[in-house]
Amino acid sequence: MLTQTHKIVEALLFSAREPLTTAQVELCLEESVALADLVNDLNEYYEEQKSPILIQELAEGYRLVTRSEYDPWVRRLYQERGQMKLSRSALETLSIVAYKQPVTRTDVDAIRGVSTSLKTLLEKNLIRVSGRLDRPGRPLLYATTSYFLEYFGLNSIKDLPNIKELEEIFDKDDGESRDEGDSSEQISLDMRDGLAEEV
Amino acid sequence: MSYNVKLDVFEGPLDLLLFFIKRDEINIYDIPIAYITQEYLDYLRMMKELNLHLAGEFILMASLLIRLKVQMLLPRSEDENLEEIEDPRTELVEMLVEYQKYKNACNLLRDLEEKQSKHHWINCSVAEAGFDPDLFLSDVDLMDLALAFKKIIAGMPKPAYYEVKVLKINIGQQTQILRSMFQGRKRLRFSEVMKHMKNRIEVVVTFLAILELIKIQEIQVSQSAIFDDFWISKRSTASEHVNANA
Repeated sequence: MLTQTHKIVEALLFSAREPLTTAQVELCLEESVALADLVNDLNEYYEEQKSPILIQELAEGYRLVTRSEYDPWVRRLYQERGQMKLSRSALETLSIVAYKQPVTRTDVDAIRGVSTSLKTLLEKNLIRVSGRLDRPGRPLLYATTSYFLEYFGLNSIKDLPNIKELEEIFDKDDGESRDEGDSSEQISLDMRDGLAEEV
Repeated sequence: MSYNVKLDVFEGPLDLLLFFIKRDEINIYDIPIAYITQEYLDYLRMMKELNLHLAGEFILMASLLIRLKVQMLLPRSEDENLEEIEDPRTELVEMLVEYQKYKNACNLLRDLEEKQSKHHWINCSVAEAGFDPDLFLSDVDLMDLALAFKKIIAGMPKPAYYEVKVLKINIGQQTQILRSMFQGRKRLRFSEVMKHMKNRIEVVVTFLAILELIKIQEIQVSQSAIFDDFWISKRSTASEHVNANA
């Protein structure tokens, strides 16, 4: 059963531009609230009602969004905006910034093996300058923004699976070859083989 | 006719190498350098034949691969402790492994992007089309302010100073000067007159004074040849005539 508080939170969620935070809700209600619980109740209610909307936990706040099943129709409403997807190089750069932040451009270049422009990502507000590295030249450090979290549907940067987990997700197929024995030992042995072969 | 095509298939040399490694099921920790170098160079050659633009990084990697191949061929002294010998490939392997990690992260972000792009919310509506990002100031940081300040300073009109001089010279005055120059002389060279003038405006005003004197028939000018210096002479007859009339 939804209370008046639930309804108010729903109204606030409906009208908020940015993900709604507990602090904002408390400011509006002039009392402390357990926003996570209220959101849970609302989501359960939407589920029961087979509602086309749900509340997402995003960038440490909450946002009322449409369910992905309705995307084909809603998308048509925004036709002129087109489907804006980040380019491969932008995503690559972004993933390095996301996992290694704060990071310098030189570090990003070193990992990608190509020189990288961060201009587009800065313009799109997906990354920001977070400071300078205390090193000769004092290079700028880059980190992801809260819009980054919103864009990828994350609540916090900690929600990203770690690098090890990623390996399990994406390369199950070639996982066996690298797990065999101690890699450093393997390299030295292989090198000898290689020599014999070449000479 | 030539075509310039840019294909974004491979993000860089590391991406290309990983492609070969995956395709040929190569153990990343034991890369057959000779083989992979051959594959790599063949690919570059093909790109060149297709007149595709090759980034400098691809060439750099080619030279690195060739260097590795040479290092692998060079014999090593047998008595050296095996453990101390570093595999020349180690650096490349580390780069590839590191890059592979972020390629996975990249795939993850692509999936998340896809998933999240299916959710819509009230503010990503069409009404946003008229929204001017320049007016949106909530995410402004020190860097933005610094850039904005620089832009404004650069766009400022340069202070321009003009000196307004009062002309202390007029035709009447120059006429007097001209008259005094004659002082008993019948004629003057134009160049001689001009020698006394200190700047352009004096020259101009004096010239006008000469014209004025010609007009009132006090003087006349004569020139022996075109572009030659000319003589300014007093029209004694005229003035006498004038005097006579008076």
